[in-house]
Amino acid sequence: MGGNKKKIKTFFLYLLAFAVLFLMVFPYLYMVLSSLAPWDEVDKRIIPTELSLRSYEWLFGGGENILPRPWLRAFFNSIFVTLTSTILMMVTAILVGYSITKLRFKGSNFINNVILFQMFYPAVILLIPLFLIIRSLGMYDTYWAMILPKAVSLWAIFMYTNFFRSIPNEMIEAAKIDGAGQIKIITKIVIPMSKSITTIIFLFLFMERWVELLWDMLVVKDENMLTLNVLLAQMFGPYGGYPGPMYAASVLLTLPILILFILFSKNFKKGMDFVLK
Amino acid sequence: MHKRNEKLGWLFASPYLIYTLIFFLFPLLWAVYLAFTNWNTIAPEYDFVGLENFFSALSSETVKAAFFVTYKFMIMFVPIVIIGSLLLAFLIHSLPRFKGLFSVGFFLPYLASGVATAIVVNGVLSYNSPFNEQLRNFGLDIDWLGSPILAPLIIALMMAWKFVGYYALLFLSGLESIPKEIYEAAAIDGAVGWKRFWHVTIPMLYPSFYTVTILAVGLMFGIFTEPYVLTGGGPEYSTHTWQLEIYNQAFEKLNAGYGTAVAIINSIVTFVSIYIFKKLLEKWGAKHGWE
Repeated sequence: MGGNKKKIKTFFLYLLAFAVLFLMVFPYLYMVLSSLAPWDEVDKRIIPTELSLRSYEWLFGGGENILPRPWLRAFFNSIFVTLTSTILMMVTAILVGYSITKLRFKGSNFINNVILFQMFYPAVILLIPLFLIIRSLGMYDTYWAMILPKAVSLWAIFMYTNFFRSIPNEMIEAAKIDGAGQIKIITKIVIPMSKSITTIIFLFLFMERWVELLWDMLVVKDENMLTLNVLLAQMFGPYGGYPGPMYAASVLLTLPILILFILFSKNFKKGMDFVLK
Repeated sequence: MHKRNEKLGWLFASPYLIYTLIFFLFPLLWAVYLAFTNWNTIAPEYDFVGLENFFSALSSETVKAAFFVTYKFMIMFVPIVIIGSLLLAFLIHSLPRFKGLFSVGFFLPYLASGVATAIVVNGVLSYNSPFNEQLRNFGLDIDWLGSPILAPLIIALMMAWKFVGYYALLFLSGLESIPKEIYEAAAIDGAVGWKRFWHVTIPMLYPSFYTVTILAVGLMFGIFTEPYVLTGGGPEYSTHTWQLEIYNQAFEKLNAGYGTAVAIINSIVTFVSIYIFKKLLEKWGAKHGWE
């Protein structure tokens, strides 16, 4: 009797879990299905009666009297900017984190305090002067404008600093006695040890950079330089009459990040447990 | 040996330090300077205007709107996202298997760009959408995005959808760190069921409540993408956030000095609001023995 009751309870828990899961993925499903629907069915039915690639063809090929926008170019801009900026954020974070925890030189305390100050300093105040700096450095309308101001992540530094503290110093010392240089210690010992948090940090930095709107919108005007997110936001109004292609562009924006996340999600729970502590 | 560490330390930290000099310290000083000028970012000449930017910001209707809109978003978003993520955390925690799978699944909305979400929400809810035409057939004429009450609620819900799974993971890690012995001790004292929930589980989750609340409150001062794309701050400034105000002033109207002053006011308001929440949470925590 008790066992049955428990089974029924478990069944309803899973039912509920799947219902929530459905709610969470529904907007994604809706986006994909609408992008593949014939135009007279877009937003009219959730599940189209037949599949059509017309929205994608129109998106990349344009329509009558309407020239196509550089969506593919924007896609590659997004990949290039996001990837470069994410890698720079990781490298700078690993280097600073390692130097203040494992090299423990005279400046480490000072740097640590600067980082803490920056973390609590409201970034919004910097927005306008940052824009002016980029403009006066002649970086307006370049990839540099989107990459360099986003080459350091305080959050990533903070995470790596905490993680490196948990690596025993004896290990580093032992490697040194074996004749390993600092670079070798970082690449051969420290980075392999931090695999699961590196995955999580990479994912978080990548996706946050991928969906950035305000900054990328401010520093780039040339249509061929826009990121996909900015191009989509700009076409929201003008393409109002073409919901199908807008869904197709949304899929183009969303799918890569979803796939990347699912590919890397094996260590997700483990990495998150560290990040959330 | 130590001398080598000294040099290497500065060398490893140098990319970060150069970045901080150019993209943090310099703009920080410039911001303070800018806020006291009337520079329009283009003209070669400008004047010092003292505190004028601050005075006119404080009496501006749109700044006032941003101030109140933020708290309106907070009243809607914070309770929804806290209760929602807490429930999801309990749900995941009580599943015998596939905890990781559902954690990942509930987290998926966090990956969405606000722009793509806005496109879906607009497709379903804009006034002339087929969905709304159906509703009108049933005599329900609702202008979701054109109503100053519903538009902010929809944006709050969009954000709750995005963040609920993320915050659930914070509560989940809190739940998993509650030692079994505490429940056993509580059972001896007769705390079971709801009593245990209110007097043991919830107070034990204090660190998670603290983090989630501070994150959620802080988030409300940085809303930009959703209203920018979906409502443009309207109708009647009902979704006009601080970020929109700063963007409009500095980059649409080119009032860089004034915009910076608004950003400084925004930061002070944010700081004070978060401080009040921190104090309230700490008071609640202290009642239950948390430091």
